[in-house]
Amino acid sequence: MLELSGLSKHFGGVKAVDGLDLTVNEGEIFGLIGPNGSGKSTTINLICGVFAETAGTVRFRGDLMNGKPPHRRLRAGIARTFQNIRLFPNLTVWQNLWVAQNSRQDVATQGFLPRWFGATRRTRQEIAGLLELADLGHKDDELASNLAFGEQRRLEFARAAAARPKLLLLDEPAAGMNQQEIDDLSQRIRRVRDSGVTILLVEHVMELVMGVTEQMAVLNFGRKIASGTPGEVQRDRAVQEAYLGTAGSTSRPGEGGD
Amino acid sequence: MIDFIQNTVDGVMFGSSYALLAIGFTIVFGVMRRINLAFGASIMLGAYVGTWLHVHYQVPVLVVALTTIAGTVLAGIYIERLCFHAVRRDAALASMVSSFVIWMQLEEASIHLLPERTYAFPGLFAAGAYELGPFLFRAEQTTMLVVAAVMVGVLHLLLHRTRFGVALRAISENPLAAAYMGINAAWVVLCAFALVSMVGGIAGYAILATDEQITPFFGLWATFKGLIAMMLGGMGSLPGAIVGGLLLGVVEANALWYLGTEYRDLSAFLLLFAMLVLRPGGLMGQRILGREELAFRRV
Repeated sequence: MLELSGLSKHFGGVKAVDGLDLTVNEGEIFGLIGPNGSGKSTTINLICGVFAETAGTVRFRGDLMNGKPPHRRLRAGIARTFQNIRLFPNLTVWQNLWVAQNSRQDVATQGFLPRWFGATRRTRQEIAGLLELADLGHKDDELASNLAFGEQRRLEFARAAAARPKLLLLDEPAAGMNQQEIDDLSQRIRRVRDSGVTILLVEHVMELVMGVTEQMAVLNFGRKIASGTPGEVQRDRAVQEAYLGTAGSTSRPGEGGD
Repeated sequence: MIDFIQNTVDGVMFGSSYALLAIGFTIVFGVMRRINLAFGASIMLGAYVGTWLHVHYQVPVLVVALTTIAGTVLAGIYIERLCFHAVRRDAALASMVSSFVIWMQLEEASIHLLPERTYAFPGLFAAGAYELGPFLFRAEQTTMLVVAAVMVGVLHLLLHRTRFGVALRAISENPLAAAYMGINAAWVVLCAFALVSMVGGIAGYAILATDEQITPFFGLWATFKGLIAMMLGGMGSLPGAIVGGLLLGVVEANALWYLGTEYRDLSAFLLLFAMLVLRPGGLMGQRILGREELAFRRV
């Protein structure tokens, strides 16, 4: 599904991501963890095309993604959420979802006029489904900026799903959530996966990663130090050192890629 | 008192065209945080092509009107490609400077088309006036007001009820997130330029038909009036552009009546000066300033 090989991003002398090889298989929930500044967010940004890689390739379903702008990658089937929420604050909840329906299928099947100047019944039904997924059905006419923090997170999740992704990148979706919200999120992630979406989850919150992922990889200093099932990774010595030993806890000067 | 009311009525009517010009600036500014100085010149080019057809081939007036609008749209697309699409997103100043260069270019092109002097500009129907009580209404100006009101209504529906408008607003609120959501900003912005150019072309035709003449200063004049009206109302605010345009019209009409012709433009500059000192964000600019601040915090 997603194949990174030799992927590197250097900011000046800082190697935010350095020779990363990673394969995510179709239908998986894949976890990517690592200490602060280990290159997780940079990896997501490289997959989405925020900036150009220094070296290496990003392949998605066999196609080379290097050099494609973000909106083309979305059309190919890669959608994402943001670590710090980036909704459209002065659009309503409904409009936030509507404007995100830019999958290849949506673009191809809706005629020009109905697509750009109206909303078909099918579009409305799909948005209703997304509202239900995010548990925001009663707030469809509310401005996004008026939502509570947890609701904004859910709306962002639904907005990414509105693009009918084949691969959904979740950038720390559980940050600032309580246990109940994390459980809801796990269920929501599984539900989206069961509808045929592969998920790459970048996360700090261990309960979520360990509970929901099937395969995972650990980054440190921009390199992959371990991979496998959550159980295997948990027993890995290099990982324990990165998280508990000297390597993970000291700050690294000049690390700015995250 | 009757004079004042009469002036105010005239001012509102003529100011409605200022509002349309200001909308052209404010939509571009709201979406791109950039100023398109060549906006007035693009309208002028469209109007000159229309006049040229009228002078040399005696085409019907309706063709002049449509040519003015179509020419403005083409010039607007040309400006977008050269000054906005081709210039990097963070180089707002470079865009403004290059739009100034295109302004000069479009103005030269217009003057080459019809060498420097004043030409008569045909209206869609003969000038006339009607009276209501003690007040006099000019038919062209009434038409202008009606056209402006319809345009504002259509624009409002476009921006709030269509995917195009919602995408445009999404880009103006968070261009990066919009790109990730798959919105093709380049395409939407190009359409927005075509749209505001169409509005500008319609406003330009209405103004010129009321003036019944066109001079090589029209580009400068339209850019000035549009910019001043936008700044009065608050940069990037659509209601602000309307209020700013009407206010400018009313103040000018009263200055013209009470102080004389030479004070008409001076009063506009004085008004802008006072506004910038007393309320730098413009009448409706407060919310925009707040949003600007948010945008900075987000970066």
